[in-house]
Amino acid sequence: MIVAERKPLSEIIAKVEGYNRLLIVGCNTCVAVCQAGGEKEVAMLAAALRLRFRDRQPAMEIIERSVERQCEEEFNQVLAEDIAHAEAVLSMACGVGVQTLVEQFPDAIVLPAVNTKFMGRPEERGVWSERCIGCGNCVLDKFGGICPITRCAKSLLNGPCGGSENGRCEVDPENLECAWQLIYDRLARLGQLDRLLEIEPPKDWSTARYGGPRKIVRKDMVL
Amino acid sequence: MGDHQKIVVMACKHSAGEALRELQREGWALPDGVEWVELPCGGSLDELHILRAFEAGAAAVLVLACYHGACRSLDGSRWAEKRVQAIQEMLAEIGIEQDRLEFRNIAPTMPADLASWVEALHRRVLAPAGE
Ligand code: SF4
Ligand code: SF4
Repeated sequence: MIVAERKPLSEIIAKVEGYNRLLIVGCNTCVAVCQAGGEKEVAMLAAALRLRFRDRQPAMEIIERSVERQCEEEFNQVLAEDIAHAEAVLSMACGVGVQTLVEQFPDAIVLPAVNTKFMGRPEERGVWSERCIGCGNCVLDKFGGICPITRCAKSLLNGPCGGSENGRCEVDPENLECAWQLIYDRLARLGQLDRLLEIEPPKDWSTARYGGPRKIVRKDMVL
Repeated sequence: MGDHQKIVVMACKHSAGEALRELQREGWALPDGVEWVELPCGGSLDELHILRAFEAGAAAVLVLACYHGACRSLDGSRWAEKRVQAIQEMLAEIGIEQDRLEFRNIAPTMPADLASWVEALHRRVLAPAGE
């Protein structure tokens, strides 16, 4: 899933204080699961902003909405009336959701309320961590299913570096496991350690973000 | 509601609720302006309950849950404390004094403490405005 985190309230307050009719729109998919921008977080942010501006006259009007997936226009149609009414829209979706609203409602002022962090998964309650940077040419099969590009701090394809110690990464031993220790352990478990004897050639990064913004066109789905 | 003349106490029924009933048997009553909301467990406290209480005009909110380790649902009181801390941080960011939201651990055998905490909060938050 896409993992996000609500921006500090002080930053959100500074963005919205010039408006008096505000629409807050959450997204009930990724950002709801990581508890950054779902229906409940919309309600909490709305309550916090009402409290912050409680002495304002006339009172700030705050409308709360949440859609199933803000990154798909079909789900946002129901917002049209509220968006036309609001002076500004505070989106609690990831950056994709925010931009979908911008493209769909070109006259609306749409502000991001969360910071979109990464593609990852919940490791335990309240802890999410990154698993994939979307390199565009997945090589997980070569590394026992552990992504060295994402999980090695140096994205080494021929690791480990000299800083791997007791299974921890030298970049942040307290918080990071060494991805190459994980890869070694996993390949040992699968009886595939010989794979590590192969030298991985330089990766073609043109499939990643470095080749510019990416697009997929499925000919069978386009008339 | 809405006039900032209310304190809301959100209280676990197993500890704070029992302590309150003991006080009531002795003839003590909640001071004027104190609203008692009893929870089935501290763990059922939701951050939104607290924000809604302030939105509805509470001048302060006191959350009471069992001692950690004594909670019948194991971690309910620890979750309650965590949620209170999260809202205290939000309150600080929106300019409401953090001491307007208190968390305390309590046991059923602590009616005297309960009375003194509620009375102290009432004096601090409501009495000055009423004088
Ligand atoms: S190899 Fe590329 S696509 Fe596969 S998990 Fe790693 S970053 Fe993602
Ligand atoms: S210690 Fe391991 S994870 Fe960290 S940079 Fe070196 S090889 Fe990568």
